[in-house]
Amino acid sequence: MESRRKRRRSQLYKWGLYVLLLLGCTVLQALPGFLRLGQAKPVLLLPLALAAAVWEDEFSGALFGALCGLMWDYTAGKTAGLLALTVMGLSFVLSVASQLYLKLNTLNFALVSAGALWLVLSGDFLFYYAMPGYSGMLARYLAYIPLTVLLSAVLAVPLYRAAGWISETFKIDNGVI
Amino acid sequence: MKDFFETWKFRILIAVAVFLAGLLLYAAANGRLTAAPQELLSVAAAPFQKAAAWVAGGVGSVWDKYTSIDETMAENEALRAENAELRRQLAEYDQLKAENEAFRNLVGIQEDHPEMSFVPAFVIGRDGMDAFGGFTLDQGTVHGVKRGDTVIDDEGHLLGTVIEAGLTSCRVLTILHPSFNAAGVVSRTWDNGIVTGDAAYAPAGQCVFTDLSRESMASVGDEIITTGLGGVYPPDILVGRIVSIEPEPSGTSVVAVIQPDADVLGVKQAFVITDY
Repeated sequence: MESRRKRRRSQLYKWGLYVLLLLGCTVLQALPGFLRLGQAKPVLLLPLALAAAVWEDEFSGALFGALCGLMWDYTAGKTAGLLALTVMGLSFVLSVASQLYLKLNTLNFALVSAGALWLVLSGDFLFYYAMPGYSGMLARYLAYIPLTVLLSAVLAVPLYRAAGWISETFKIDNGVI
Repeated sequence: MKDFFETWKFRILIAVAVFLAGLLLYAAANGRLTAAPQELLSVAAAPFQKAAAWVAGGVGSVWDKYTSIDETMAENEALRAENAELRRQLAEYDQLKAENEAFRNLVGIQEDHPEMSFVPAFVIGRDGMDAFGGFTLDQGTVHGVKRGDTVIDDEGHLLGTVIEAGLTSCRVLTILHPSFNAAGVVSRTWDNGIVTGDAAYAPAGQCVFTDLSRESMASVGDEIITTGLGGVYPPDILVGRIVSIEPEPSGTSVVAVIQPDADVLGVKQAFVITDY
């Protein structure tokens, strides 16, 4: 059983590390040319939000997801709040699902984050590119989304492990065995 | 789980969701991309992005140098310390060189356009979600940049316009974006038209010159420049060269496909025209 002060300090370190990870992912995601394959570039903020949601509870996960989404709005030049709401919702749903129904491991987390990313990117494509009726957008969809999802799913693995390490290292010891 | 929906935590989440929805509505209603909380986040992220852009070879392929130094380190253990020191100096040198080059280019552009005021900037962010090459620059409102300012490359070629200015960074809408519109003219024939983006040509880094008269004598290779009509963009900014001329679907005019003089999809350094 840890003291209250020790627990608070441990939580501070934990969320400090999560925020550092968030800043690192923001920088890498927006870094010009970083892991660029044709038109595709990995998305790191969504897998990070989902990883934190899986390792933490639905409340913290959803709040951290909102923060990740705001950062993604900033890097992608989208209207503030759009991706924040989406990522927050997905983080909440995945956290609840992982507590009640899903037994997640590294592999199926990569698959789940790939699915979530596919959903978000397809929604973005629908509203920003398909609905305005730009020509040649199917080619853009095929050149951008599948490869982006694949790259992001691969990078979701180290993010899942990093979030797991942070969560386990700073886990609160409440004395229950 | 059922109990969770009755806790204060759930109420907080609902409040956050309502706040985000309000933020979204506020930003959308005001035609803005960001709002105050996000501007704070961008201020926090911008220095990291700037540093990462330098390190990742934003100015001099530092990555290539890093890997070659790595090989050297493997070959000769004794030179490791010396190599590390040289690498650090090299990064500093690259940074100084790029800054020097930027200011030298600024002097050149300033001599060509003495009436204009410029702010030199570096590209610190690009996101794959933007199909039209939009990017983030490391200069914001504290540096005098504002929404609507024109952005050019280090040789004075048009890149786009500032669509959103944060405190220490700004977002650029490129000439490849269909929402971009600037009055232009064919420099040889003085035929008027509109420089804009087209989704079909954007992946190749090309834009289009629309509303060009069918009787126009413009031909492949002609240069397009801005006219300054409308007061949004300064006059006589070089845009690019015509690579093909195609009939417009309605048949009333023709569309010229332009290869921009600027490398819109790969540019690393830019200038923001803050006054002209």
